[in-house]
Amino acid sequence: MPVLSKPLNFWAKNKPSLLLVGLVAISWGCGPTNEKLPILGQREAVTKMVNGKSVTDSVYQSIPDFRFVSQYGDTVTARTLDNKIYVADFFFTSCPTICPKMKVQLKRVYEKFKDKPDVMLLSHTIDPDHDSVSVLKEFADNLGVTGRQWLFVTGDREKIYDIAQDSYLVTAQSDPSAPGGAVHSGAFILVDKAKHIRGIYDGTTEAGVDQLMKDIDRLLAEYKS
Amino acid sequence: MMRFAGLVTVLAIVSAFSACQSEEEIKRQRYITEGILVYKNNCANCHQNKGEGLAALYPPIAKSDFLADKNAVICLIRYGQQGPIVVNGKPYNRPMPPQPQLSDLEVAELVTYIYNEWSNETKVTGVKQITPILEKCKK
Repeated sequence: MPVLSKPLNFWAKNKPSLLLVGLVAISWGCGPTNEKLPILGQREAVTKMVNGKSVTDSVYQSIPDFRFVSQYGDTVTARTLDNKIYVADFFFTSCPTICPKMKVQLKRVYEKFKDKPDVMLLSHTIDPDHDSVSVLKEFADNLGVTGRQWLFVTGDREKIYDIAQDSYLVTAQSDPSAPGGAVHSGAFILVDKAKHIRGIYDGTTEAGVDQLMKDIDRLLAEYKS
Repeated sequence: MMRFAGLVTVLAIVSAFSACQSEEEIKRQRYITEGILVYKNNCANCHQNKGEGLAALYPPIAKSDFLADKNAVICLIRYGQQGPIVVNGKPYNRPMPPQPQLSDLEVAELVTYIYNEWSNETKVTGVKQITPILEKCKK
């Protein structure tokens, strides 16, 4: 009996601290906050010569340059978003289906990061024939959006569809049988300062956008350290 | 307010199960239950789940002065709405698409839900009442 009582006693005495060690171990092991967000999309190995040695590096897919026009009538290119973390999405102003939901959710992101100059929002219309600069301006005004943090852009239809599918990895195409004449993904795409995609979220649900806002904070933290 | 809503819910449940409930009340409950689904699937994207609308884009339905003209509401559900309107003193100008996929019964259920939830009605707007109105404003 005396032999057994010692380890029992040890456990009883040290229970709180042992528990703490356990919890720390768990949070160390699978705590998502310590991890960086993944880089999504295709990657390729590129071998080049550095100082006479061949070095292999992986090159990640990134958002190429583009040229669209904002709700203020000025040109927006990839350079407009240099040194910014941004959320991209695809919508159209007369869309009766998922767009209003997406805009309600993106407005939450806008309100939360209003005072963070490093964060921008970029909404592309997929109905440029209807969504002219003035239509986009009125839409932004009606949504209660001011300033240049949230840009609504229009441009060449094919270029918008191409950048959606090839670069942002989401669906956007015209479909006369769909309500409003086009189908598109309800995704929000999170892009970092190196123009890499770091996350794709369901922009039609509160849960999806809660996750997006958490990940924007994590991404901002990456640039602080 | 929450307490009041809770009380109403309890009362609704109790009355739903009581045997002496009138046929009219059973019908009203059925219309509202169906109306909620019609609303969620066809209206809530723009007008939002609680009927509050969205900023200056889409007008509210809840406590909207537009509800005063029920015939106009019935007609705009089926045939849509174009051009500027004023709701509770605020201007809106975004087309509402027609909803031809909704049957007369579904429009009746929707109207019953809207008026019981966001106006002060406690009665059914029946399909028999709706059909001639829809017939009249057919475009």
